[in-house]
Amino acid sequence: MYELYEFDWSSIPGALPFLWQGMVVSLEITFVAVVFGIVWGTALAIMRLSSVTPLSWFAAGYVNLFRSVPLVMVLLWFFLIIPHLLESLLGFPRGTDMRLGSAIAGFALFEAAYYSEIIRAGIQSVPKGQMAAANALGMNYRQAMQRVVLPQAFRNMVPLLLTQGIILFQDTSLVYVSALADFFGAAYKVGDRDGRLVEMLLFAGAVYFVICFAASQWVRHFQKKLKTA
Amino acid sequence: MISIDNVSKHYGSFQVLADCTTQVSKGEVIVVCGPSGSGKSTLIKCVNGLEPFQKGEITVNGVSVGDPKTNLSKLRSHVGMVFQNFELFPHMSIIDNLRIAQLKVLGRGMDEATEKGFKLLDRVGLRVQAEKYPGQLSGGQQQRVAIARALAMDPICMLFDEPTSALDPEMVNEVLDVMTELAKEGMTMMCVTHEMGFARRVANRVIFMDQGRIVEDDSKDAFFEHARSERAQQFLAKILHH
Ligand SMILES: Nc1ncnc2c1ncn2[C@@H]1O[C@H](COP(=O)(O)OP(=O)(O)OP(=O)(O)O)[C@@H](O)[C@H]1O
Ligand SMILES: [Mg+2]
Repeated sequence: MYELYEFDWSSIPGALPFLWQGMVVSLEITFVAVVFGIVWGTALAIMRLSSVTPLSWFAAGYVNLFRSVPLVMVLLWFFLIIPHLLESLLGFPRGTDMRLGSAIAGFALFEAAYYSEIIRAGIQSVPKGQMAAANALGMNYRQAMQRVVLPQAFRNMVPLLLTQGIILFQDTSLVYVSALADFFGAAYKVGDRDGRLVEMLLFAGAVYFVICFAASQWVRHFQKKLKTA
Repeated sequence: MISIDNVSKHYGSFQVLADCTTQVSKGEVIVVCGPSGSGKSTLIKCVNGLEPFQKGEITVNGVSVGDPKTNLSKLRSHVGMVFQNFELFPHMSIIDNLRIAQLKVLGRGMDEATEKGFKLLDRVGLRVQAEKYPGQLSGGQQQRVAIARALAMDPICMLFDEPTSALDPEMVNEVLDVMTELAKEGMTMMCVTHEMGFARRVANRVIFMDQGRIVEDDSKDAFFEHARSERAQQFLAKILHH
């Protein structure tokens, strides 16, 4: 006979400030990676669709590379390589804590590959005649993209971009490989310290669920509003 | 004004345009017609460089369209074009549709662009719709806005690619009326259209195309009374008894 596991949630309230700090780190990584991922992803999508072959090959290579390797591995590369690079190239003092910076860089570069595919599809969903009409009015490629094609493309893509952001938020938990205290990392640390790992991880899971579920409900609602507008 | 000289274009081995030659003088109205796939749209899009061509030369007001040194954006900014599917910008209000290229291409100020926009909306009878979005307008109204948008650039000539063929029959005339008025004011126009009533009333010349070639290029009367080629006769018979 084994004894029933006795849950003990008492260590959670005291850990809340520390967990909150972790949540801030998670949100920080998510936010910067989403913004940078969309900007760089847009650039990649435009390169991929460009008629300049080296550019479209570069973008295709980039996207295929990042989509074919596990995120954890990309993050590890960044933890291991970037600090050394910065130390030797830019003369950063040895031992500077660059875990947060390299986590953000890793996420942003990785996510840009996914964003660029969403954005490419978004650009292609805008009828060809729109670019032609903009050109016919004398707009050059950049003006037509900026004023006519991209605004429509993004409008169609907003729900997908947000959904990808929610996925990214969950994926930030992978930074535990660098012992960076994001929300998941913080929960793990506290649980481990207090011998209450199960409770902590259940609690953390519930928090992730509530946030992501609420966010995706909001995206759906938003999507409906967009459609009727 | 527009001179098309021996223009040929092909996609791979498929010839879309074969040695097309014609001229449009200032103030002239040319109607281009012909069966589907004969290259009408392609020809008219070559005139403002939206479609590249491999052989021959097109000049608009003396500027060569095919010359790589030509600033195509600048040339297009004063060649108006109206599309079959209107191609208004759906994310902008009607007045913004009329303003955007004035502001960004011609560098006009906001006040001037707005004033010009309203003046042209007045002219096509749509001033009250200025703040609406294209999706809220009927097809005929959208096409009138598209014409106004092109006119806002003070074009030296206008190209029309089947401007009424996507419209419900009851809306065709409101668009043709705007075009007729434009022609009366002396605008140089090249119109791809199957509206033969419009051609009879307004056109100076009619061009008939078939399989990428200009088969007939005649004064309107000559074309309607005795089209020379059998293809054009057949085409006319079909379209007039429609
Ligand atoms: N990108 C392309 N690649 C290959 N063929 C093309 C392409 N664009 C057009 N064509 C072909 O070129 C021919 C001429 O096309 P175009 O659109 O100029 O005809 P059209 O006379 O305007 O016909 P319609 O009355 O149907 O508008 C057609 O046979 C079409 O299939
Ligand atoms: Mg056509």
